[in-house]
Amino acid sequence: MSNANNLTYESVQIGDALGPVEFYLSKDQVRAYAKTCGMWTPRFTDDEAARKEGLPGMITPGNMSLAILSKLVTDWAGTSGARIVRMGTTYRQPVLPDHTLTLQGFVTHKNESDRTAEMDIWIESEEGDRLVIGTATVHFPR
Amino acid sequence: MSTTLDLHSHSEASEDSRAPLEAYLNWLKLRRAERPVDGVVLTEHRQFNKDADYRALEDKFGILVLKASEVETDYGHVLVFGVNDEMTRRFDFANVHLPAQEVIDEVARMGGVAIPCHPGRPNVGLCEHYAKKPPLENVIAVEVLNGGSRKGEDERSVELARSRGYRSIGGSDSHLVSLIGLCATRFEAEIRTIEDLVRELKSGEYAPVDFRPRRKPVPHATPVEVKQA
Repeated sequence: MSNANNLTYESVQIGDALGPVEFYLSKDQVRAYAKTCGMWTPRFTDDEAARKEGLPGMITPGNMSLAILSKLVTDWAGTSGARIVRMGTTYRQPVLPDHTLTLQGFVTHKNESDRTAEMDIWIESEEGDRLVIGTATVHFPR
Repeated sequence: MSTTLDLHSHSEASEDSRAPLEAYLNWLKLRRAERPVDGVVLTEHRQFNKDADYRALEDKFGILVLKASEVETDYGHVLVFGVNDEMTRRFDFANVHLPAQEVIDEVARMGGVAIPCHPGRPNVGLCEHYAKKPPLENVIAVEVLNGGSRKGEDERSVELARSRGYRSIGGSDSHLVSLIGLCATRFEAEIRTIEDLVRELKSGEYAPVDFRPRRKPVPHATPVEVKQA
């Protein structure tokens, strides 16, 4: 993996890894996010109410998963000055709080003409299921 | 000489993938030691690009590229190998409610082979449909290893194949560059063309192969009581 502090377009290699990073996502964190974003709906705040909607319990808002993945990328970019110019995600399964999640990614290709690197990113459950998958494009300054 | 092919992949031609074919082939070249795959079959969703020509990329990377399609039927998703003009005239590949039995029978009659994929997956897999409707006839194989499977899905697929006497294939179902080649199918024979592939799927010797890395288990978090905010 490239050294984040010295990361440049030239130093980034196809195959470089982002993570893996494991972290525990609490229900309180999800509730705080939902409240901050004005998404105070039962599926994001209350297990019992979420089950009444047919969910396995309270779930993480999709844009919180996106935010979590964006942090994987910005942590990797560090202080290099690189910035995310695009992210896209597919939600395959609900992300349940009170579980340990693993974030991972790989640089998959580079575009010399606009000095961008493309990367795969995803959130895995404890069982190894990819709950959210996506890609990000990162631009590097000259 | 055997041939190992990833029989199920989606490039940027599919609406839910951003993976360029060149990046797939470069990734396979980089990861050759972990994923010894000789070729990939592009199975774009609900379409078939007759005119796409990948010979320059095949030559550049030394990896075979074949074309097929993943269509949607009343029994879930089905991979169609050996697509020809007769098939695309007979079926509207964009139709998400194609009649599975007709697809299987007609594709075979027209010289191809149709194989249900990820049968263990809810909603889009054969198992769930078999629980409600009569089984399909003339199914020769199903995809029992799928790189996108969630816990339990491949196991259900394997059990379906065992109980029904279906043969088994594997494919990554990759929508991301770095997931290409995680599951594949190893054929005893050499395969160089789509005609070779169809012939071998119908009557050759093959088995699914799994190149997914064994994962270090992540301990389950201990649930804690949390007060309502």
